[in-house]
Amino acid sequence: MEQNEIIKPENLVYEKPKLMNENPMHYCPGCSHGVIHKLIAEVVAEMGMEEETIGISPVGCAVFAYNYIDIDWEESAHGRAPALATAIKRLNPSKMVFTYQGDGDLAAIGTAETIHAANRGENIVIIFVNNAIYGMTGGQMAPTTLIGMKTATCPYGRDVNLNGYPLKITDLLAQLDGTCLVTRQSVHNAAAVRKAKKMLRKAFENSMAGKGTSIVEFVSTCSSGWKMTPEKANKWMEENMFPFYPLGDLKNV
Amino acid sequence: MAEKPWEQTGMVILQAESEIAAINMVYGGAGTGKKVMTSSSSPGVSLKQEGISYMAGAELPCLIVNVMRGGPGLGTIQPSQADYFQTVKGGGHGDYRLITLAPASVQEMADFVGLGFDLAFKYRNPSIILADGIIGQMMEKVVLPPFHPRRTDEQIEKECPWAARGKKHGRRPNVITSLELDPAKMEENNLRFQAKYRQIEEQEVRYEEFQCKDAEYLLVAFGSSARICQKVVENARTEGIRLGLLRPITLWPFPSDIIAQYANQVKGMLSVELNAGQMVEDIRLAVNGKVKVEHFGRLGGIVFTPDEILEALKVKIIR
Repeated sequence: MEQNEIIKPENLVYEKPKLMNENPMHYCPGCSHGVIHKLIAEVVAEMGMEEETIGISPVGCAVFAYNYIDIDWEESAHGRAPALATAIKRLNPSKMVFTYQGDGDLAAIGTAETIHAANRGENIVIIFVNNAIYGMTGGQMAPTTLIGMKTATCPYGRDVNLNGYPLKITDLLAQLDGTCLVTRQSVHNAAAVRKAKKMLRKAFENSMAGKGTSIVEFVSTCSSGWKMTPEKANKWMEENMFPFYPLGDLKNV
Repeated sequence: MAEKPWEQTGMVILQAESEIAAINMVYGGAGTGKKVMTSSSSPGVSLKQEGISYMAGAELPCLIVNVMRGGPGLGTIQPSQADYFQTVKGGGHGDYRLITLAPASVQEMADFVGLGFDLAFKYRNPSIILADGIIGQMMEKVVLPPFHPRRTDEQIEKECPWAARGKKHGRRPNVITSLELDPAKMEENNLRFQAKYRQIEEQEVRYEEFQCKDAEYLLVAFGSSARICQKVVENARTEGIRLGLLRPITLWPFPSDIIAQYANQVKGMLSVELNAGQMVEDIRLAVNGKVKVEHFGRLGGIVFTPDEILEALKVKIIR
């Protein structure tokens, strides 16, 4: 195919999502956040909801999510995103509202807000990026850090006697009557990305259909925090994270 | 069946799981330009401080109500005014101010809801009603302020072009945040806040004077203490003591100018507070050493009698 052929609009097979802007991303090479951001931008645009969507960014690596996706945002205090989302959606029922939270934000400091928003069945989407470590603050232990996994604050590996067990908060959320979709996805290869996007869209559709709270967990890598190359981090995730956090729907009603 | 406003009008009343969640719900709702409020008593308001600081930093209008009880800690459920410092000097982190209204009657408790919201939206800053357990449990006749119809979405979008309500075609995204990592820009933000605070100090001071014109001595008191002090003024005058009462209605902005003027007229001032001496510091700053300023208070939920206050005035100021 000639170059002039290739650039014809009808031959377009892929483009940067329209809602993603030109700001250079601050995420590390190999980080899952970029792909997850892209999926949100695509789904919101494909649903035609870019003028009706309000995102809530967390404290953590994704604190600047609002710099990359051109929709309206509110930046939350650490862990409180589901409380913000509750009020935004209740006061503006026609809007599409989602939170974007990491494992420290959602499963440590914000556990109460997460569980109670989900238990009330708030018509929101909670996007949960679980990379089993605190990336932004320098690689400390997260509630979801695996047993034996080394971090800055458990340098000899997570010890159950000292640190307790990894928190399977998504399993817990699936038990609540207020949730309608609880699914665990990843973005480590093309097939996973396609599947994750499908579930993300379902979650957003649920929120507009008033079905209750949808939670999409992304089991993710943190190559910097894990001190691995992006390629090795993906492999380590498949071998260690997936057995403990198996992918798939925990609840889909 | 009477119309239920929460079913008909878009009004939402939601019991939060914690005071922390409640103030963050207020943050979320305020970020969309809605009128949102939360109320609690002292320990609960301590929990809200982080959210209050974030709202001041994100310049969000809202109304907070603190019906003060005795502390510190779990303390007591009896009345107190010991959260003055927390409310007017900070409470949360960072250089910020809360527009602080101190009601001295049930009528003001009702009136200040509207006033608090008006000031909050005028300046894009949180307002707080700082009441106490006496006002909170008092029963009095109230004339309700005129009813204002709920604003439509179109009105909110016009009045609050900054709000996060969905990015309409053509405009840049609205982001509600207090975060700015560039220190030069963060200083700019702070200077903007400070300029706004100076403007509020110039324009929004409210106070009430009672028998001050010929006063030789002055009581300064807010909230329920001021109600009790009215009786003290009457009693003192029957004894021939020319006593007046100045009641700050806004605790921030503080009525420093009028207090400084009275420092040229009276021989001394007594700050009467249900705490160990908090507002007295602001009075002393205003008076700047011109006359004697002392404090009288009761603590831990005990309420003073008019006789106790008059006695304190005689011992600490007149003698």
